[in-house]
Amino acid sequence: MGQETFGQVNPGRRTSWSQDFSVERLADCAGAMNFYLPIAEMSVNVFVFLGMGAAVGFLSGLFGVGGGFLMTPLLIFSGIPAAVAVGTEAAQIVASSVSGAIAQWRRQNVDVKMGVVLLAGGAVGSVVGVQFVKILREAGQFDFVVSLSYVTFLGVVGALMLIESVNTIRKVRQGQAAPSRRPGQHNWIHGLPLKMRFHRSKLYISAIPPLVIGALVGFLAAIMGVGGGFIMVPAMIYLLRVPTNVVVGTSLFQIVFVTGITTVLHAAQNYTVDVVLALLLMIGGVIGAQFGAVAGERLRGEQLRFLLAALVLLVCLRMAWGLIAEPSELYSITSGVTGGHG
Amino acid sequence: MADIAVYTSRRLLIGLSLLAFAAGLTASRATADPKPGIASPPVQTESATLDPAVAAANAEEIEADVSTRSVAITSSFTGVEIIVFGAIANAQPEIADGGDYDIVVILEGASERHITRKKNRVAGIWINTQAITFDDVPSYYAIYSTKPLDEIADPFTLRQNDIGFERIRMRPVKGWETGITAGGLADFREALVRLKRDERRYIQDEYGVNFVGRSLFRATVDLPANVPVGPLKARVHLFRQGVLLDTFNTVVKLERQGLERVLYVFAFDYPLFYGLFAVLMAVCAGLLASAIVARVRR
Repeated sequence: MGQETFGQVNPGRRTSWSQDFSVERLADCAGAMNFYLPIAEMSVNVFVFLGMGAAVGFLSGLFGVGGGFLMTPLLIFSGIPAAVAVGTEAAQIVASSVSGAIAQWRRQNVDVKMGVVLLAGGAVGSVVGVQFVKILREAGQFDFVVSLSYVTFLGVVGALMLIESVNTIRKVRQGQAAPSRRPGQHNWIHGLPLKMRFHRSKLYISAIPPLVIGALVGFLAAIMGVGGGFIMVPAMIYLLRVPTNVVVGTSLFQIVFVTGITTVLHAAQNYTVDVVLALLLMIGGVIGAQFGAVAGERLRGEQLRFLLAALVLLVCLRMAWGLIAEPSELYSITSGVTGGHG
Repeated sequence: MADIAVYTSRRLLIGLSLLAFAAGLTASRATADPKPGIASPPVQTESATLDPAVAAANAEEIEADVSTRSVAITSSFTGVEIIVFGAIANAQPEIADGGDYDIVVILEGASERHITRKKNRVAGIWINTQAITFDDVPSYYAIYSTKPLDEIADPFTLRQNDIGFERIRMRPVKGWETGITAGGLADFREALVRLKRDERRYIQDEYGVNFVGRSLFRATVDLPANVPVGPLKARVHLFRQGVLLDTFNTVVKLERQGLERVLYVFAFDYPLFYGLFAVLMAVCAGLLASAIVARVRR
């Protein structure tokens, strides 16, 4: 606007008082489908986040994973404050895992007793995690800790999966049968006290390891905005030696409740759950997951694991880059009482 | 501002008979003022301040208003432009083409605590290591003027009236323990303003106020989508040759409305129920999705 009328007397060319309220401007607003997110405090294009939900939903359907570890970094990369990304993603994981959990329940693939013990640990982990998030945000270190957690866990899990899948692919090519799991060897876990009998899993072990694993997963769910299946499933198989047919169901059972608790706690303590954003991601996610599941049926297990490992490592590297590369802006600001821009 | 107040009260007290004395005071104060760089012609200053009849009847005043006194922040809010407009009353004809009058329009949001953090490389990783907490920083600050501020008035007058980004009030309250020197503090202040400008919450247009005709002026103020919700203080300053003649104040209300308001109140006033609602919504969405998928597959 500006300069042309400054300091000039130009009675023949008066500026119209109403030109700023044009009909085109209103039409633009409707066409772009922007929505103001109440918690993230930004106006976003609805289709961008529906699409993001669909893309991650496709991948999670393809690989049979929750997708939190992909969605939370994507949200952060797209400018959603890290704390809001984590809190909102917890709500989305509830939606994406609840139907799976019910399906597994119907097939009696849930060891309820094991699930409850894991959940008890998970609830404690979640409470501690949400409190930890609050303290970190006040100290201005939350973004850093989120990135560091992602780099660490995705790096380890991705590398292990990559090695395992490459070995399996090689053995299949050489005509060997894929190795089956060795039957229950006794390890140090069997020496712990507080033994419980888990009928469905045919286990008689101490309650301490599942409690600790549950707590760790709950803690990670709270600070990373993930379900924690990528820790839970390997831990149940290799540490607790839970039979594989109940692992997924029990893990989903625990994830639904722990992410549910985490959502409520994030909302109550940190005010970082954006229901509008969560709803957009849910809608996109459930649609994408259906296509992903269909596509996943055409690929072999070890191939899927190889691709998933590559994806996990890619996200890990992107996060690591953010920590190591010199940022273009060294300064950052946080404003207000709640500090929604942590 | 202070000058005018003092001047006005003096004028009332002393009255017409003691005018020469009052004028002497004003003149001596003006010469004593350590204001660099004002090139105001003494003849005009005297005509404005000395002659009581002219001062009473012809003192320039601003009459102004905003196009929208209340802005609704709804879920489809993507920002809005409001117009601040007005006229100079008693504009002196010989200088009334706007050329010698300067207008500064400022819209300011509520003061908030802001923390500015700085990353440093620690063991190869960039981490926030230094932070300064500033109190009373305006959450939004839009400034529009007829020409660059340093051409309108001297830094002293501008500071007295909180005009310009460099003169925005911000009170550092803590953070010295993170090893920040006085020089470093200036960098933190600058960074705060720079980041606010990047967010479009601090806006400046040095030629954003336009004269329309002889004494009408208007400025189009940009309220971006992320404008902090709350009342905005709007003020219009009238300058002539470095002297602040009048200030007009008003308020623009920004209020959340509709769904946006419902969600915001729900989230911040009833956070526990909001969280439970979010989980309930998620469970319903998950169940609904699987029900639909089951039906479609069949």
